[in-house]
Amino acid sequence: MDVLLKVNGTEHRLAVDVRTTLLDALRERLELTGTKKGCDLGQCGACTVLLDGMRVLSCFTLAVAAQEAEITTIEGLAGENKPLHPMQKAFLEQDAYQCGYCTPGQILSAIACVQEGHANSADQIREYMSGNLCRCAAYPKIVAAVQQAKLLMEGP
Amino acid sequence: MPDGNQTIIGQPAIRIDGRAKVTGMARYASDEVVANPAHAFLVTSAIARGRIRGFRLDAARAVPGILDILMHGNVGGEAEKPKPMSGGDTTTTLESDRVWHDGQIIAVVLAESFEAAREAAHKVEVDYEAEPPSATFGSPGVEEEVRKAGEHKDYKVGDAEASFAVAEVKVDARYGTPTQHHNPIELFTTTCEWRGGKLTVYEPSQFVYGLRGSLAKQLRMDPGDIHVVSRFVGGAFGSRGGITARTAWIAVAARRLNRPVRLVATRDQGFTIVTYRAETRHHIQLGATRDGRLTALRHEGWEVTSRPSEYNVSGTETTARVYACPNILTKVNIVHADRNTPGFMRAPPETPYMFPLEVAMDELAVALNMDPVELRRINDTQTDPATGKPYSSRSLMPCFDQAAERFGWKGRNPAPGTMRDGDWQVGWGCATAAYPANIGPAAARVTLTLEGKARVQIAAHDIGTGAYTVIAITAADRLGLEIGKVVVELGGSELPAAGLAAGSSHTAGICNAVAKACEGVRQRLAQAAVTSNDGPLAGQDPAKLTLSAGALRAPGGAAEDLPKALARVTTGVLEVYAENIPKGLPPESIGKVYQGQMAMSRGHSREDATTYTFGAQFVEVRVHALTREVRVPRAVGAFAAGTIVNPLTAHSQYMGGMIWGISAALHEATEIDPHAARYVNDNIAEYLMPVNADVRSIEVIMVPEQDAQVNPLGIKGIGEIGIVGMNAAISNAVWHATGRRIRDLPIRIEDLL
Repeated sequence: MDVLLKVNGTEHRLAVDVRTTLLDALRERLELTGTKKGCDLGQCGACTVLLDGMRVLSCFTLAVAAQEAEITTIEGLAGENKPLHPMQKAFLEQDAYQCGYCTPGQILSAIACVQEGHANSADQIREYMSGNLCRCAAYPKIVAAVQQAKLLMEGP
Repeated sequence: MPDGNQTIIGQPAIRIDGRAKVTGMARYASDEVVANPAHAFLVTSAIARGRIRGFRLDAARAVPGILDILMHGNVGGEAEKPKPMSGGDTTTTLESDRVWHDGQIIAVVLAESFEAAREAAHKVEVDYEAEPPSATFGSPGVEEEVRKAGEHKDYKVGDAEASFAVAEVKVDARYGTPTQHHNPIELFTTTCEWRGGKLTVYEPSQFVYGLRGSLAKQLRMDPGDIHVVSRFVGGAFGSRGGITARTAWIAVAARRLNRPVRLVATRDQGFTIVTYRAETRHHIQLGATRDGRLTALRHEGWEVTSRPSEYNVSGTETTARVYACPNILTKVNIVHADRNTPGFMRAPPETPYMFPLEVAMDELAVALNMDPVELRRINDTQTDPATGKPYSSRSLMPCFDQAAERFGWKGRNPAPGTMRDGDWQVGWGCATAAYPANIGPAAARVTLTLEGKARVQIAAHDIGTGAYTVIAITAADRLGLEIGKVVVELGGSELPAAGLAAGSSHTAGICNAVAKACEGVRQRLAQAAVTSNDGPLAGQDPAKLTLSAGALRAPGGAAEDLPKALARVTTGVLEVYAENIPKGLPPESIGKVYQGQMAMSRGHSREDATTYTFGAQFVEVRVHALTREVRVPRAVGAFAAGTIVNPLTAHSQYMGGMIWGISAALHEATEIDPHAARYVNDNIAEYLMPVNADVRSIEVIMVPEQDAQVNPLGIKGIGEIGIVGMNAAISNAVWHATGRRIRDLPIRIEDLL
């Protein structure tokens, strides 16, 4: 069926199988491969995107159900030559990844974590970032990155 | 560094590929876009042993959008069985009607969309001729044999049996470690595209030349007609080292459809279509004098493998040489079951084999009423006890001393169950980490341009280790450039060959090759500079000229800017290709890498010295007095691994390794249904791995160490040492907290009730 997806400020009209997930629509149809498939079961968080600013698992969201929302993917945070979002910069500087495959999901989840008000302490960040697995286990540096970016996102 | 005043190697540097990773621009093999792909979905066996009588396909073929179904009956002859890099033989998939293990690939469904392929695959009905399978140790029908000497060997020094019989103090115990699966977050995907007779394969890989060479043999092709692309790898941990069955069938599918085919295997299929860490059992006997000197060490191991494979990791090759001991005896047995073939997983031999040794050492310390650190000190050695060769460097006790100091070890009350914080029983434990310093041959091409930029090309692999960046650092260091002036191309079989990114060998192998190519650049520039009539370096000794800070420099201060120096050689670009053959390997070993075979100089196989990395792990555990929940609030690891090229990414690797060690002790185990020989927790919600909230303070100490013997750059490798010993340190800490000695991993609440 035909769907209209608003991704990173751009409208895309495409025909999808009714079973197509938002994740597969992004990756396979719109070639926005920054959003990653790690389990397709809602277990790893690698496919996290923002829907109207809320973090959701795009593997657990049907494309047809995402039509009303403003969808933000990792590609929507900074373009080729545009400045990085404070969270992207913090992940870069803290080396808050290794292989980098979970990183887009971690960064979008972390932005939402700060905006939700769930980044007030290291313990709270650990808890509210536990939906995003990092098999390389960069966790302590992810916490440090969220703390670094939070200061810039919220001001002193 | 052994040779000089260079300053970029060893300085922390942000990853040169970091921006690509944080913006979603890093193109993993799973992300490669091909035009109009067909989608593949695997059908895997629902039994673990038997034969396939036939398929009923009417329902599957009725699914709109279905294109083709590959099975033994229609494509079985189109590819040969993959050849594993280790262990000889492996199981078949579509080449035969035989079922060797649960979850084996038995058909490949192709359709216009992923959704249609998945639906059709679920509608494939299979008639089996099932036989009762053997799952694991102790199952009826398993076949046990003594592992023959070949890839691995046993050690016999002195008379361990007689010495153990008369030892003043003894430890005699049995241990076990569980099945584990790598579970990298990037799924096991393969995309194949044919153009004429040439095939391009996009697949996450730790060895693109290996994948190319193996696939060429399977498809009976010229390797030159296959191009393997894997620019970024979403985690590997050993799972992407050797070729597995899926690749050839996706290539065959793409040829049949005359169209690109993309496979995204599901998470549960990833438990059975690739390798894993097999479960192990151990019997350890330690004998010692009353003052703590080891007099006897016997270590016998058992490992599970598939029916046809002789794969084993034989970690006794490390446990035989960690401590001074005059009487050593090792033996390894393999147990064939109806399982998929196991393979490398992070510190393949040492994670399971150092666990029993290091718990046994803790038990010995208790029996001797001795501090476990002091027991290691008494038995420390600079001579490999298994062979009598010197260690090229060994900083075990500096690691123990620095980590113990940082941890506050001297505040430990040695009696178990004596440290308590409210409802939590507190325990402190430690263990030795050891891993061989391996290195493989590699080739690299360095191109210098008149704009003062360098391009480095090498078929290396960045599996999260920071390979892009250590290559750039090495080139920048040797060419006297800023890191930002170096462009690195890796992860493709069109590039000069490099070996398997595994065994903590990769940084040593690729950086030494890049340094050698850079040295070729320096020589060409130096020769032109000293033989010029008018240049500032005319008449200088070319051997003494160095490249630093954008200029070619002589010892007395004379210098020429790089563009001018380069202009004496060429008005185009200067390109140097070099091959590095590590000490101990024959010249033809680089040819083996080009052919896709494994070639590695191993830490215990050199003639001149034993080359190993050592470390010390210290950990605090807290066991809840009522719920018996186990937590690890802090860990300190100290490691000495020769030259550290990039301390920033090295820290991440050590830290990640230590967390893997915590996971090996407390989280990870693949549970096996003993009757069906089936993995039951084959997803990453039920296969426990640490999440952010599981991890607290992880401190890493990089103990300075210089080793001019191990290889020219003095690099020992760090990817695996961080995990080794942590599982034992945690078990030892649990004993200290509770008085319970846990010899089987993982440690669960029910072990502490």
